[in-house]
Amino acid sequence: MQREVAQLAGCGRRVVGVPVSSRSHCHGAAAVRANSGYAGVVFFLVALIIAGLFLLHRLVRGYPQPRERYVVIGVWDAAFLDAAASTFFPAGGSVPLSGLEADLPGYADRYLASLPSRQRLLIRALFMLFEQSTIVLPARGLGAFRRFSSMTPEQRKVVLRGWAESRFYLRRFAFTALKAVLIMGYFGRPECLQFLEVESFEIETPIARADLLYPPIGQALESIQYAEADLTPPSDGTPVNMAEGIR
Amino acid sequence: MSAASQQDGEVRVFAQYDRDFSEEADVVVVGSGPAGAVVSYELARAGKSVVLVEEGPPFTPRDFRRDGNISMARTMREGGLRATTGTFMPVMQANCLGGASLINSAICVRPPDFVFDEWSSRFDLEESSRADLDPHFDAVGEFLGVAPTPQNVQGRRNLLFKRGCDAMGYSSEPVERNVRGCRGSGECFTGCRARAKQSMDISYIPEAIRLGARVLTSLQVQRVMSIGRRAWGVEGQVVEPLSGRTSHRFKVNARLVVLAAGCTATPVLLLKSGDLANSSRQVGRNLQFHPGCAVAGVFPEPVNPRFGATQSYHSLHFLREGFKMETMWAAPAALAVRLPGLGHELLDRFSQFGRMAVWDAISSTHQSVGSVRARFDSMDPAMSWRLHPEDAKLMARSIHALAQIFFAAGAEKILPGVHGLPDEMSSSEEAERLLQHPVRPTDLVIASSHVFCTTRMHGDADKGVVDEIGKCHDFENLYIADTGIFPRCPSVNPMFTVMALARRQALAIADRI
Ligand SMILES: Cc1cc2nc3c(=O)[nH]c(=O)nc-3n(C[C@H](O)[C@H](O)[C@H](O)COP(=O)(O)OP(=O)(O)OC[C@H]3O[C@@H](n4cnc5c(N)ncnc54)[C@H](O)[C@@H]3O)c2cc1C
Ligand code: SF4
Repeated sequence: MQREVAQLAGCGRRVVGVPVSSRSHCHGAAAVRANSGYAGVVFFLVALIIAGLFLLHRLVRGYPQPRERYVVIGVWDAAFLDAAASTFFPAGGSVPLSGLEADLPGYADRYLASLPSRQRLLIRALFMLFEQSTIVLPARGLGAFRRFSSMTPEQRKVVLRGWAESRFYLRRFAFTALKAVLIMGYFGRPECLQFLEVESFEIETPIARADLLYPPIGQALESIQYAEADLTPPSDGTPVNMAEGIR
Repeated sequence: MSAASQQDGEVRVFAQYDRDFSEEADVVVVGSGPAGAVVSYELARAGKSVVLVEEGPPFTPRDFRRDGNISMARTMREGGLRATTGTFMPVMQANCLGGASLINSAICVRPPDFVFDEWSSRFDLEESSRADLDPHFDAVGEFLGVAPTPQNVQGRRNLLFKRGCDAMGYSSEPVERNVRGCRGSGECFTGCRARAKQSMDISYIPEAIRLGARVLTSLQVQRVMSIGRRAWGVEGQVVEPLSGRTSHRFKVNARLVVLAAGCTATPVLLLKSGDLANSSRQVGRNLQFHPGCAVAGVFPEPVNPRFGATQSYHSLHFLREGFKMETMWAAPAALAVRLPGLGHELLDRFSQFGRMAVWDAISSTHQSVGSVRARFDSMDPAMSWRLHPEDAKLMARSIHALAQIFFAAGAEKILPGVHGLPDEMSSSEEAERLLQHPVRPTDLVIASSHVFCTTRMHGDADKGVVDEIGKCHDFENLYIADTGIFPRCPSVNPMFTVMALARRQALAIADRI
């Protein structure tokens, strides 16, 4: 009977052989459990807040002020891009333009501005992935878990090699996508193209009949500059490199 | 009686749309790429009133950008970042007046007999032999000045390919292109500033306008309107160039509708219009590509690769085996992405650019088939596609053949770009590893701009979406003209073929309305 009562008291735990008079003990246990439940919740919340703060700090805090104001990218993209650029294109290499000098954040800002919003988001997610993934894919040595832009040049190289040579196709693919954006920015610098002798040729553009039909993008038909009298002879096929004498 | 002669041809651009509007025509053509442009011109020539609707804007030379990334972001769909899922593969598709002809390298190849014979026998086609289509190839070729690329604009990068092919005993030839007065600037992919490339915006479309066609740009068609077996027009929205923001609505009522929005847009349009023309359940299925992979080779002497027509030598030697090899040049940054390494190693490779040539191979990957589905939130397609392991082996063979040509032409090393193999190979013996190594689909870096079969033609209405002329089996007056109607990938660059088919279709339509 006592057993039944003790069970009916609803402590949840079986209180075998405990006299009814010790009901208060049962209440005490409930209170202790409630307290430890509160403590658990509080602990959990504190842990969540700490993790949140850590994440926030890791995501956005402590980045240096960028060189200029960007339209699309944020401080963390800029820091990541500079760090990645100096790893891909270090100073003192066989091309006398370093990644830092090439101002890849500036380029990326212009490039992203020209993309549709979904693709813009995807590219920024790619930057974020590389910047933050060192939490789970660390480099070696002290600071191996830091975000990419806070690592030493050697650690960054290790991280990027990890992506480039991964067994996992998707990691290699992500690496190629990042490399494409960075290389486009680097080659976007005229001095780079000139040094490599791959800059495009100067070309005189003939005025064709089609040029009487279309205005430049975004403008009204009235802004078409040309009339019939402006038409010039079409291209005669003279090779562009004639002037240079390289054949 | 056609309403044509009362209409003056015109172009409309984004700045002119300040309200909702509607138009009437005999024929509305959706998409101004090679297919839509040819159909519009031929129908205007036949005295029909034609409205050609194009989502992209016209690009003038002032609008071209030489930076590859920025140019792609402006002229291509999804900012040039469209890709398949399954096997990730970037897929370039245009969003401009003239479609991909504005930014392609103008290669015009007639597929050999065997391609059309296979089409005929496998897909119950009766009038699609090469001989049936030759008159159309001839007419398009003459209109666009299709001719072999002259020697004086070949440049070393292209001629070295010929040298290598000769040494290997592989046939090769100068590429025939739709170009008049090419100057060899190698910048076809970002727009021809020499106005030499006869892209649709400066060839067929102006002529169609002269003959009365109305060309409405910056309009996205979102629905084909139909009742029962008859389509009666299209509707959609104005799209701001570059930003893609949509605004006013429009409608074009027409006696006949031709969809030429490209192989991925047309099935989306049909699916979003209430699953039109799909009694065969083939709309959006059978998706095929010519995936391409490129190999760089470094020569001991300067190549000066920036000079020379973009893609002007090719070899059809292995076409029956399943691949075609060609020379290429693109924005240097796009090519540099292919170079392996990081840091100083990468910069060293950049510094070899002047001694480098890049050649590519496109493969007929018949076993790799995917699909296009509509997304609920946009007109962009969801493409899923997987490179079949057997097709990956075929592509590895194509890389091996390119390697052989490089070494035969005197290259000191090649960069094959295959995961799991060395970054560089220095002899044709070493390149044999390309055949020995078990290359998997994910080991290759591939891309494609040739897309086919999503609304394929088939003599049997249960197995295809359109008939031999491109008329939807389920409709009396709805036609498809773009590369989606190819029943199989054509083994060679598709533009010339899609134009020949479009011409045949237009002449048939002109007789029917
Ligand atoms: C970079 C590149 C290089 C290439 N090089 C070659 C080459 O040298 N030789 C060759 O043979 N082939 C080449 N190709 C392939 C070839 O250009 C295409 O196969 C060909 O252009 C297909 O023609 P099309 O008319 O079917 O489609 P597209 O050229 O894609 O034209 C479709 C048009 O429809 C428009 N459109 C799409 N959706 C809508 C809509 N909802 N409303 C209104 N308009 C819409 C698009 O903006 C586009 O202008 C290349 C392609 C690319 C991208
Ligand atoms: S190689 Fe240059 S000149 Fe020749 S068609 Fe291409 S862009 Fe025009």
